[in-house]
Amino acid sequence: MSVRQLWEGSDEDNFVRTLSGSTKLSCLFLFSILMITVDNPRTLFILFSLTLISHVVAKTSIYKWQALAVLLILSLWGSMFSQALFYAQTPRTPLFVLISPTAGLLGQITDGLYIYREGILYGAVQGLRSASMMTLGLLICWNSDPRQLLNALLAWKLSPQVAFMLVTAIRFLPVLASETGEVITALQLRSNSQSGRTAVLRHLPYIAKPLLARCLRRAQTLALSVVSRGFFLATASKNRGLWPRRELFACICFTAFVVAIVGSKFIYLLSEQGLYFGFFRYVYDWTKLYL
Amino acid sequence: MKIMTLLLLLISYVQICFAGVKLEAVYPYSLDKKGEQVVYEGSTMPFYLNLTSFDLPEDEPVSVKVTFPEGFACMSGTNFQATGNVAAAKFLLNKNFAHSFDLLYVEANGKTFGSREALVEITGPTYSEKRTINFTYVEPDEKQKALVQKEKIQQQASASSKKKAKRKIDNKRFNWYIQSVTIPVDNQGLKNDKEEAGVLYVRDTSLESFRNRMTGGGATNWSAVFNHPACHLLLDMRNPQRDIRVLKFKAELINKQTGENVPGLITAGKTNSESENGWAGEMSKDNESTALISLDGKKSQTFILPIYVDYFTILEGDYTLRVTVEGNGQKKIQENPLTISKRHSLGLLAVAFSFLCLLIVFVCAYKIKDTIYQIGAKGAITVALFATIAFGGITLPTTIIGDFIHALLGPFSGLVTGLLSGIFQYLLIVSLLVLYRKPGVVSLLFFVKFMLNGVMFGHFTPLGMLSLSVSVVALEVVLYSVGFFKKKTLSKNYMLLVALALGLCDALTTFVNLEQMMFFYRLFYADWYISLYMLVNGLLYSSIGALLGFKTGNKLKQVMGE
Repeated sequence: MSVRQLWEGSDEDNFVRTLSGSTKLSCLFLFSILMITVDNPRTLFILFSLTLISHVVAKTSIYKWQALAVLLILSLWGSMFSQALFYAQTPRTPLFVLISPTAGLLGQITDGLYIYREGILYGAVQGLRSASMMTLGLLICWNSDPRQLLNALLAWKLSPQVAFMLVTAIRFLPVLASETGEVITALQLRSNSQSGRTAVLRHLPYIAKPLLARCLRRAQTLALSVVSRGFFLATASKNRGLWPRRELFACICFTAFVVAIVGSKFIYLLSEQGLYFGFFRYVYDWTKLYL
Repeated sequence: MKIMTLLLLLISYVQICFAGVKLEAVYPYSLDKKGEQVVYEGSTMPFYLNLTSFDLPEDEPVSVKVTFPEGFACMSGTNFQATGNVAAAKFLLNKNFAHSFDLLYVEANGKTFGSREALVEITGPTYSEKRTINFTYVEPDEKQKALVQKEKIQQQASASSKKKAKRKIDNKRFNWYIQSVTIPVDNQGLKNDKEEAGVLYVRDTSLESFRNRMTGGGATNWSAVFNHPACHLLLDMRNPQRDIRVLKFKAELINKQTGENVPGLITAGKTNSESENGWAGEMSKDNESTALISLDGKKSQTFILPIYVDYFTILEGDYTLRVTVEGNGQKKIQENPLTISKRHSLGLLAVAFSFLCLLIVFVCAYKIKDTIYQIGAKGAITVALFATIAFGGITLPTTIIGDFIHALLGPFSGLVTGLLSGIFQYLLIVSLLVLYRKPGVVSLLFFVKFMLNGVMFGHFTPLGMLSLSVSVVALEVVLYSVGFFKKKTLSKNYMLLVALALGLCDALTTFVNLEQMMFFYRLFYADWYISLYMLVNGLLYSSIGALLGFKTGNKLKQVMGE
């Protein structure tokens, strides 16, 4: 499976694909708010599981499941790695000493660098936030056409000029990718170097100038074409697709739910700072137990 | 001359006349000096001896002997050696001026109640004195007796279940004990019911901590630390035998798993008159808060004790707070769960700053249209294509390969991916700015890149929006501040300044982004790591990228002119 195929959406009909762009973007945004609000490991895991279940509902192909698994493992591992090093809570049990506090300047600056056992677990739990967002982001990426999301943004009063720029950017992404390939080939030919990854890496610093120069030339041509046809100053089309009522209602409910969660978390945090109100005690209990 | 001699003789005479030793002997002694002179049966109370010597011709060793009534038991101390109801000690009285003093603890277990007396005898080569101290020896009332007996039985029952009936109750072990420990309380000893019990919030000192580490710890304002205790602890003591004695209090943090003492609590080590409010700037190395407390003979007594925290070593988490009170061979320990929580003021500040930037972006969003009209269709398309390159050259590789590098290098992966997000990104920004030197162009580039990321990868997250706002506001403000948009020509020296300013701006953005990550994702990053990132990924990479961008931009200008 190529990198391009990995990010490409599938054409198979499924529940997620039939949702409107506005619903997808709203859910994504609200879910990410939920993920940064919740602290309870069990709830975090449930939310993460929900994102995985949504992939099952969307009938994600086996290749994409494999790619998702690799990305999730790498993401979680990265989080575990960093938190194993920087975990700053007690109790903590050092498993290895990477830099001793007495090891010269490095030791003095870092005050010792250890791998903490509790940090590994903590990193795994906290990594669920970014893992969940990545899983949901990929779900939308694999089950949406960029045009669908763009239409959603336009329906939310995105400026037509910015929308035009966005469309230009999307349209020219493959063109610029192939141009980058051409520039690398040209550089390799000019330097008479052997082809291969190391040669590509060696030419990377010299890609920018020719690539940007091509961009400028292309912009000149495009601008002439666009201005002469009056595209650039065109007003936004009003018919960008309606937000289905059911989906809109579901999104309003989800928004209300997220607002309630954020609100209860907020008043709980205020109670920790001394702003305690007796009539919120059930909210405090609930927040402490589940959020 | 005669007058002078006469005067000197007179002074010498006066000195000899007034030379001597002043004896002060008090029993029972208490710090509040109420002087009730009542000793309760079974109590342990101190006898206080103070010898003030002045203008003695020579140093004089003296022997002190104190005799208490039958049944009273003296306890040996540092100076006094006790045998039954008699204690003896030796003191050296200095010839000029000296205070020689000591406490002798005496346990009252006599059988005869009423008016009693203790005899103090001092003998030396030139100075001798005898003094009788009168006091009233009373029996505790029945209610108190019953209470003491009940407490004794209860405590013994928990200590040993088998021998409780047969073993004789040891009075020495039950003179006083800790009833309860409450933390945190305020300096009046009042518990705030709105605050969670057993949770101690300490202030955030991330920046100070790093600065101290780099400067070798000299910059710590310990006066400020000791002037503002992290909290107060309410120690409720019970003293059924009505003892009067000085006890040592100690509070320490214990690791719940290993049971070991861990760093976090401190005691002010020295005082002098030169430092602010008497704190000399040094602290104990024993990881404990200590204090001296004085039982004043009341059956119950509460103490409000300041707890000092070493903000630079204390870690968040769950601990056991071990409170130890000891004195005269007795030691009472009580352990309570304690959670240390830090107020992440720096994180809150960073998040507040991000929200402020987001608000500014929302307020100024309408101006983006003006920028588009100013740079025209060609400019807008150029910005879009630059955003495509930024997306393809920065976002795409860091999303795909970034995870692999992250898995390999962990938190240090950013130093590698920073080559793209630092150098390449700033190369693009500055080269675009050289071509279109208008306010809002950078914002437009960032905005299109963000939208591209959202539409292609579904990365529409609150954190992404906040990061975008911080980057945009910081860059626009910095460029405006250095007069980048008004300058007629861009010289090399000027661009060096701009590159440095952009580097500093990126360092700030990096800091805010890391603080946001810590705040929203509850992650931990060491202060040195944040500084390393700010220095390398922020200042160094971005400045290099900006300088390269200036060169590239100048070359691209030639293409524009074709």
